[in-house]
Amino acid sequence: MSSTSGIASDFVAASKSAVVSAGGVQVTTFTELVDEVTLHFQIIRLAKQIYVWIGSDSAKLGNLYAAAPTRPNNTVSATSILGGTSDNTGSGIARRLVLNTGLNIIVACNIPKNNPMLEANAEKKLIEKLITMGYSRPKSRFPGPELPSA
Amino acid sequence: MGGLEQRFPVPLKNFSVEIKGNNTDLVICRYDDHFLVMATQIGTMGTILHARKEEGVTVEPTFNVSVILGKRDEPMLLAITRQLIENISSSGSSMPLVLSLGLKDHSTETLKGIVSAVVENRLW
Repeated sequence: MSSTSGIASDFVAASKSAVVSAGGVQVTTFTELVDEVTLHFQIIRLAKQIYVWIGSDSAKLGNLYAAAPTRPNNTVSATSILGGTSDNTGSGIARRLVLNTGLNIIVACNIPKNNPMLEANAEKKLIEKLITMGYSRPKSRFPGPELPSA
Repeated sequence: MGGLEQRFPVPLKNFSVEIKGNNTDLVICRYDDHFLVMATQIGTMGTILHARKEEGVTVEPTFNVSVILGKRDEPMLLAITRQLIENISSSGSSMPLVLSLGLKDHSTETLKGIVSAVVENRLW
């Protein structure tokens, strides 16, 4: 797994990715150094939905957001479902993950507030990983490949 | 940036059981401040519920259980949540629970199946 820092040898261990599957659920976890902050990512992939957790120095759950594509124009609806009342770190990630993948998403985000660069880079890492897992950007007029019919 | 040979900081169990003929995928995670449990038979997280313990100084703890996304008219989902938060509490933890239930039926047998599968594999 590649790391974002220049000191490659130290960060091979931190960027290990692990995948565990059972039944219809695949769990992928990985850790990356992003803008000098260690971020932990957890992607729990269900048949028709994805749950993502992003943590930084602590393994707290953070704020929970739900986001999904909304007909008729494939716009995105996103809402905070736990936490997130005084800060909305992570709501943009949820929204843009849906825009980029067409998936139904739940995001739990525990990264430092007031750091938009970190948020943007964390999101980029997530999208890169989702692409390697086989999700691709939906074509403009059609729903994404993983979008359920309901 | 030392100390890089670290395990992933969130313990997690992922397994499947059959409950009343329905294949049920379960995921149990332990974060620093919450437990997350997912039980799904339908390929999505389904309804998401939140439960926490409210501790008084001299009285028995009470529990607050609520739906944060999804079906608000299915009491069996609240019942599962309540049984699990009580189990967490009696195992000694005060951490709240986020529970997702995507179930095909809401019968008592399914309730018992889910609760026992989770408790057998608990991370608390």
